[in-house]
Amino acid sequence: MHDSESDTFHPVNKNEEFCESLKKIGVDAKANPIDTDEAEKENYYSKHYSHTPSMVTNHGTITLKGSNIDVVQIIQKG
Amino acid sequence: MAQDLNPIPWGAQDRYQAHFIVKILVGCDDEDYLARPTLQTAGHFASKKVTGIKWVGGELADRLNADETLKTLMTKLSYEDAQIHVEPTKGGVRIFGRWKDSHDFTMTKELFAVYDRIALDIKNMSCSPPVQS
Repeated sequence: MHDSESDTFHPVNKNEEFCESLKKIGVDAKANPIDTDEAEKENYYSKHYSHTPSMVTNHGTITLKGSNIDVVQIIQKG
Repeated sequence: MAQDLNPIPWGAQDRYQAHFIVKILVGCDDEDYLARPTLQTAGHFASKKVTGIKWVGGELADRLNADETLKTLMTKLSYEDAQIHVEPTKGGVRIFGRWKDSHDFTMTKELFAVYDRIALDIKNMSCSPPVQS
């Protein structure tokens, strides 16, 4: 008997997943490999507020075209 | 040994955030680019609607308060999505919302239009670059 589910799966990076949701709404977006953008090397928060998380995981960036936003960075808490 | 009744969560959690970054030279005072909305609402729980927005923060907040198009766009958002923060960092000015779990972590046309409008206001904010000594 064979299970209906496939034995293999393709892990998708979180930035690629979010990039797809941007493309679905008509935004020209391209996911970049992790640690390729300058924004990933700086602080992710301004530290003007006390409740910002001290530990976050970087999931890479997405470059946008034809928008006022230059880059989207995906982060995870913890 | 007794079990801890209030265990502290550790490790990566199922909470994600997307930072929409406008790469500009933060020439004027950092605090000028801080902005957070104070939301006026109507209704409760699932029927809670945003009826008005007042931005608080630096010079950018004044600019966002004057933007009527942004206000119209934001009143179309859910209460959760309308909680937007703008913070300056060394790499640029970051626009982001609340943490979302992996099921809700997507983008809508309405929310993207709001982020894009805020980004336009950031780009239009004219501040002289820092003086090189």
